[in-house]
Amino acid sequence: MSTILADPPPPIDNTWAVPGIAIPATIAAAVAVYFVVRSVRDSVRTPDDFLIANRRIGPVQNAVALASAPLMYSTLFIITGHIALNGYDAAMLLTAFTTSMVLGVLLFASPIRNLGGYSLGDIFAMRAEERSARRAAAVVTLLIYGMFTIISLAAIAFIFNRWFGLDNVAGLGASVLVVGLVTVLYAYMAGMAGVTRLLVFKAILTLTVVLVLTLLVLAEFNLNIFDILDKAEANRKDVPAGYDLLGPGREFGEGQHRLVHLSKLFCVAVGVAAIPFLFMRNFATTSGKDARRSAGWASMIVVGIYMCMALVGFASVAVLGPERIGVIKAHRDISLPKLVDELGGPVMIGVLAPIALLTIVGVYAALLINAVTCVTKDLNVARGRKPGRADELKDIRRNTLRIGIGSVLVGVAMLPVRTHIFIPTSIDLAGTAILPAVVYALFWRRFNTAGLKWIVYGGTALLFFLVIFSNGVTGPEDAIFPGHDIKFVDIEPGLITVPAGFLLGWLGSISSKERDDAAFAEMQVRALTGGLAPGARKDAARAAAAAAAGGPGGQSPNGAGPNGRGPAPGGPDDHGNQTRTPSEAR
Amino acid sequence: MSSTDSPAGGDRYVAVHGSAGFKTLQRKTNSFLIRASVLFFGWWFIGTSLAAFAPGFFRQEIAGPVNVGLLFMFLTFVVVVTVCASYLRYAANRLDPLTDQVRAELEGEPR
Repeated sequence: MSTILADPPPPIDNTWAVPGIAIPATIAAAVAVYFVVRSVRDSVRTPDDFLIANRRIGPVQNAVALASAPLMYSTLFIITGHIALNGYDAAMLLTAFTTSMVLGVLLFASPIRNLGGYSLGDIFAMRAEERSARRAAAVVTLLIYGMFTIISLAAIAFIFNRWFGLDNVAGLGASVLVVGLVTVLYAYMAGMAGVTRLLVFKAILTLTVVLVLTLLVLAEFNLNIFDILDKAEANRKDVPAGYDLLGPGREFGEGQHRLVHLSKLFCVAVGVAAIPFLFMRNFATTSGKDARRSAGWASMIVVGIYMCMALVGFASVAVLGPERIGVIKAHRDISLPKLVDELGGPVMIGVLAPIALLTIVGVYAALLINAVTCVTKDLNVARGRKPGRADELKDIRRNTLRIGIGSVLVGVAMLPVRTHIFIPTSIDLAGTAILPAVVYALFWRRFNTAGLKWIVYGGTALLFFLVIFSNGVTGPEDAIFPGHDIKFVDIEPGLITVPAGFLLGWLGSISSKERDDAAFAEMQVRALTGGLAPGARKDAARAAAAAAAGGPGGQSPNGAGPNGRGPAPGGPDDHGNQTRTPSEAR
Repeated sequence: MSSTDSPAGGDRYVAVHGSAGFKTLQRKTNSFLIRASVLFFGWWFIGTSLAAFAPGFFRQEIAGPVNVGLLFMFLTFVVVVTVCASYLRYAANRLDPLTDQVRAELEGEPR
């Protein structure tokens, strides 16, 4: 067994992978995705085309792209295996994800799109001093980008191990390098429009796979769901905690320990909706109404898929029995490939391998666009730079390559480290540093620069302090430094830091005299209506962006052009750059 | 970040923010969102807390392998769909017409 994945024993004997089918299927899928992405390449002519697809993504396309986000490696493969092993308590995680999507529908989708910016910094800057706001937004966006990227690239290595049977260090490193660089190429080619196509393609394939698997397990048990549940219970793997598979207890446990799993559920429910690369998708939709509709539809799609996934999870242990599923935490992701092998045979395993890879490729491509947007719109302004007018798109593309290639190299170098802690930590960070700031910015008159800084820097510092002393860093066998033990935090730190983020924002705001009622009025009016007052100089940039989206004379971010409108002519872009400059020069 | 930065636009926002039309829109939006949030997040949070602290209740069998906990989970999924669907419908029927009015007021020619 490879040491690169740092799998604790017992070693996995991969008897199911079929590289002879998986490798050609992957090459075919890579070529197919290349053509899918290339089909929109010619529409990318301006920075707005690249970063936000010129706000041309219609509600149906956006709904499918949004729905593909919660279908990543850690949900599709790890949670199904988690359910096979830990049953009810693990399935509760799925309800936490859907809860977060409801938060996205009710709180984020429509107001965020109505404000009509590009990045988190655009939202923060409406209620706080511009450069501080953008610096804070860049810090939190890039931290989440870094952590999520490293774990996504590590997941590519896991997929090559689980689905291709590859288990030598050099081979896994090279595979991650190749897949990572191909993803960077996809993002480079067609920006947000291309990534959206890629996500839609991924979503359709993933949905099909989950549906096929559900049908296969239903067929196996003559369409009797009760039989599946009964058999799962009968076949349960006995865990140290005891308890039945279908009732709570296996993860919740007893006494104080109950808070541990509860804290994980809480963090997923409040944090996932606030992860920048997920909710920033809303900026690319045609209007606030469409953003709201697409988020609502996406939640419904995800609910359907998660119900199927819960059933597949229980069915894995029902079909495979207690010894053949992944029986320890680090091996949960082998249950699904084994189930596929059992029900569909080698051909299905081979065909599913590229789809498994595609789930990560989609996530990483979306992350990369988010990071590039952040660097272009937030970091450059925070550092007092202005991108040259004519070269802006070139700069953005060069940044995409630089950030992308750099991250892939770092990701490959980080492969030997057990970085799984980065997923919960980035979810916690989103809940701690972004959720309170967005809620206060939208709803609290008194919110100001100091409040924002306290939330972002105070919350982040507190979170990382707690994370260092929590389970994933030292202590258990699967921690980053398993040989040491300085941990005293058992619960997911977000349970403390999310409320602390709200408290810090309140304290920071009232500690400062800064108060801007006009900015609050503007924020609320724009978030709710999507309108722009005529003659507001400060909004020139957004008005110009809207002009690009809604055609010449479009006054508002909501004045969307018809769906599927052709590439924007050069005019709006020139206009956009001229009007943007004074606002950025402030 | 101050109102002096954009006198015309800033005044317009303050005026609209205080207008009766906007107040109505805001009241209707917030009352729906607050009710939906309290109902949904309350439901989910009470349910998860029961799973953690009253596992005995969730383990009670209802029919065959189905227990109270599994029923709760299924209902949560149903509630997610219901909340999203009712928000989309409420927003399209009740909020959007008001939004369009307020926006026209905001974006009209300066008096």
